[in-house]
Amino acid sequence: MTTMETDRLVDDYLSRLEEAAAHLQRSRRTELIAEIREHIDTALREEDAAGEVAVRNVLERLGPPEEIVEAAEPVPEGERAPPGGLEVAAMVTLVVPFIGWLFGIAMVLISKVWSNREKTIGTALAVLAVAPFLALVIIDSYSESASDTLEAFLFVLWVIGGLPSAIYLGLALRRTE
Amino acid sequence: MRYMEPVQTRKSLSQLRRGTVEYCVLALLRDGARYGFEIVRELSEVDGLVTSEGTIYPLLTRLRKEQLVTTFWRESESGPPRRYYELTDAGKSALEDFAKEWARFRDSVDAILTKEEG
Repeated sequence: MTTMETDRLVDDYLSRLEEAAAHLQRSRRTELIAEIREHIDTALREEDAAGEVAVRNVLERLGPPEEIVEAAEPVPEGERAPPGGLEVAAMVTLVVPFIGWLFGIAMVLISKVWSNREKTIGTALAVLAVAPFLALVIIDSYSESASDTLEAFLFVLWVIGGLPSAIYLGLALRRTE
Repeated sequence: MRYMEPVQTRKSLSQLRRGTVEYCVLALLRDGARYGFEIVRELSEVDGLVTSEGTIYPLLTRLRKEQLVTTFWRESESGPPRRYYELTDAGKSALEDFAKEWARFRDSVDAILTKEEG
């Protein structure tokens, strides 16, 4: 049993704790994690053991990280987690055609801040914005009657079209459920 | 809906535990300051009181915020300094009040539970 493996067990546990404590105030979260880390260190020192079994036992006795956080402060129901970089990035990239648009939608979908309903509406708005452009491109590929002006116009529409989705999602962040 | 009962019982017991364990912590500090690990281990060795040791730490934080305990750091012989917890005057009187009420409450519940059984 190497120390690296036991360290990994402890690190995994602490990062689960950190994740579960995402809704706590930063100072409180830092303190809680420090206390639990200290507990693990003390327990291993007092028992004069450091092997995998000892570490697993100490973690087992501590209990699931989610339970510890629940004791600190239950996850607020119906209250929105504060938006992070992901949400901002999603709204910005949504108005960038092609790759940006794709990534924007992907980020909206993986965000934990928006509700499923908001995600559906936001994505639908983003898709609607693109529909005329895509329709034209498809029609174009069948007929040779390409109209560059119309294509350019619809491309601009795409950029503008991303806006309702981004605005809708932005406003949603200001609402509490 | 009979199958729901165990869940309900577990919930009730966990709420009851949550409310009483903090006074058990205060009681452990009656004879003087102790450090976090010591409190946690002593509580968890009592049967049925604490299921997850980690949950005691948030509780200690709460007691400190409510000013029922104060904390200070003290050097340790075998490692880094330790945070000690000590009862405040408010903590002492909270403990006294609870101890009295608890005795009454326990006796009343016992009386009714045993009557129902018999």
